[in-house]
Amino acid sequence: MRTRVIAATVALYAACDGATRQPPPAKVAGVRVVDVIPVSLSGETWQDAEPFLALYASNAQLMAASAFTPNPGGSASGTAPIFVSSDGGDTWTLRNTLPSEGMTADITHAVGATPPVLYSGILKVPGVPLNELKASDFLSPATMTLQASRADVDQPFVRTAQAASADRVYVGLNDFDAPDGRTATVDVSLDGGATYKSRRIETRATVGQNGPSIRPAVAQDRTVYVAYFGWRATAGSTVTSDIAVVRDDSGAGGATPFRDLLDPSDHLPGRLVATHVTIPWSNAPTLGQERIGSTLSIAVNPLRSDTVYLAWADRVGTGDIYTVHLRRSGDRGATWTGDLRTVTNATNASLAVSANGTVGFLYQQVTGSDSSSRWVTRLEQSRDGFTTHQDAVLATVPANSPPLQFLPYIGDYNGLLTRGDRFLGVFSASNAPDSTNFPQGVVYHRRVDFATHRLLDGSGATVAVSIDPFFFSVPVLP
Amino acid sequence: MYTRSAMFLAVLLALPGAAALGQMSRATLVKQSDIIFIGTVTQVGAVAVPEVPASDRTVVVHVDQVLEKPAAVALGAGDSVTVQTAQPGSLKPGSQATFYTTGWIFGQGVAVREVGHEPGHSPVVVADQQAAVARARLEMNDADLKAHIQKAAMVVAGRVEQVRPAELAGAPAHRTRISEHDAQWQEAIIQVQDGIKGAQAGEQVVVRFPTSLDVAWVGTPRFTVGQEGTFLLHKDSTTGSPESVMAGRSVPAYTALHKSDVLPKQDALRIRVLMRKP
Repeated sequence: MRTRVIAATVALYAACDGATRQPPPAKVAGVRVVDVIPVSLSGETWQDAEPFLALYASNAQLMAASAFTPNPGGSASGTAPIFVSSDGGDTWTLRNTLPSEGMTADITHAVGATPPVLYSGILKVPGVPLNELKASDFLSPATMTLQASRADVDQPFVRTAQAASADRVYVGLNDFDAPDGRTATVDVSLDGGATYKSRRIETRATVGQNGPSIRPAVAQDRTVYVAYFGWRATAGSTVTSDIAVVRDDSGAGGATPFRDLLDPSDHLPGRLVATHVTIPWSNAPTLGQERIGSTLSIAVNPLRSDTVYLAWADRVGTGDIYTVHLRRSGDRGATWTGDLRTVTNATNASLAVSANGTVGFLYQQVTGSDSSSRWVTRLEQSRDGFTTHQDAVLATVPANSPPLQFLPYIGDYNGLLTRGDRFLGVFSASNAPDSTNFPQGVVYHRRVDFATHRLLDGSGATVAVSIDPFFFSVPVLP
Repeated sequence: MYTRSAMFLAVLLALPGAAALGQMSRATLVKQSDIIFIGTVTQVGAVAVPEVPASDRTVVVHVDQVLEKPAAVALGAGDSVTVQTAQPGSLKPGSQATFYTTGWIFGQGVAVREVGHEPGHSPVVVADQQAAVARARLEMNDADLKAHIQKAAMVVAGRVEQVRPAELAGAPAHRTRISEHDAQWQEAIIQVQDGIKGAQAGEQVVVRFPTSLDVAWVGTPRFTVGQEGTFLLHKDSTTGSPESVMAGRSVPAYTALHKSDVLPKQDALRIRVLMRKP
């Protein structure tokens, strides 16, 4: 493992461009960054990686967040926690309401139309079966209700839409029991999660499966886009993949959904935005102690579904480890721009489009080399296709500490959403209490002494630095 | 992970056995609890944290002494805890008790759910309660281990002679698909030095274990060449391939996926004692 880390670091040093060594940009007005860990868990030292966020359009105060955070009491109760905020993200509480022993092995969630309904897709511990869950009131202490379950599924990714009669739930997932190795699937519920139908979205031959990330995005007019990796060949740990997008114009409620966007090359559903890209599949510490291989995000303008943005990561082959690409379509996915942004040695791209058309682009990038390497978390915004953009550095923390406890180190994904005039999101990063690590400022509720750079437990003893989830709020460009 | 005074053991050895506590034994209360404290009820139908709505089941308790808690939890003497009681009206202001609870809500303060409580004879003798709880925890640990032994197909003390990649012949195709949760199975060949259950000294057994760093396998025991221990082994029902090959012949494959499946070598004696107990 150490050898791999060193090799990655050497390669990273070679790949860093001048721009990444520049000092962070100026402070952006109105940004909030909050460590989600509450004061009553000040002694925690877990690697709270892979955060996610859900919020309501109709209630700015209520939010749910998650991470690979364990039940502080252990696994005996058979429950795992989510974080809840009832004050717009200023403070968070941890509640053990997920039916999983101590922790989940994957979790995403999205809200229903009526607060405080919450839907969640988890890989349950033990055995990691998919559980599709619902809470009528996520503030309630009651364990979330199981709506559907099956084995051999990876990376459930939940999005919802509000229909007049019931919530619509879209769970992108990689279903290893799908026929013909076409594993890219969306579980669609049109009745508030009461029933789900598994919709296969891959129409081409694969190497035996698709990549893990299957990402839905829903506009208010019920247009649903789904991005996925079309894995076409493998050689060792390298995958040759297409980056594909399907679309459904009526909320995926028909008999043969996700067939509304064809590729001109073969007239099959699934527009090939990029073909034959190289995906380095590395389930080992490779980029700043993180594994790589499945970064993918898609976001649609909620009010103008013609406009959709797509980000993925691959290896370009110019000495990079992993490079994020951002593209846009203005004609419902029919044609796409070239790269609007190309970010070297980055991962965890997340996209959101605000109601005024501003796109938010969250990513985490490793900069520097060896002991000075850092994970830099940025939110970029643009209203002109990234001809210009605003750049907010949310965190810049050491990349080589704390040492990893497991993978993912900070997550295979993070979360970005938008509501009104704010981008709201979560990322995971080192909680080393150094105010220079957070150029926009930061609020810790857990006990901390910034003067001595120490985390403290309830008795005042020093607590080891670990990975925490951080909530943020950034004003949308007007 | 749990805070316990080193004096617990010394004290508990001098104390008589715990009496049953109403509907539920102390041992059962301890088994179901992760936060145990001595406290005094200060308010009924009230809460000490804003995240919890007050009801006829909530009381505020002043913490006099924490007996057990997870290390992550910031809770100490002098703190106020919101307790959701098992039964409304079961606690009065001013009454002191030992509270057996599970963590419920962690925010600006701690809210817990009561599993049960043990009324105090005011004032509660802290050392006595510490010792009683510690003894009950040991009893439950032994009971859990005994149940785990009974489930195991084989219990051996031995040494890991070899570690090799696992060949999962006959496993369903989906087990070999590429996923970040892939276990990356390997096999440890264990030389049995003491066959405690289901094995004889001198045998070799194949034990499969994950090498993946993925979150799905965090905390799962791993094996290295030269490692010695007492191993609780279960027939492999996880990989989809129940047989392995050793010296050219098919043999059963085992797993040891629970943290209690791999114990220090000296625990062999403890296990034999537990197996003899009724």
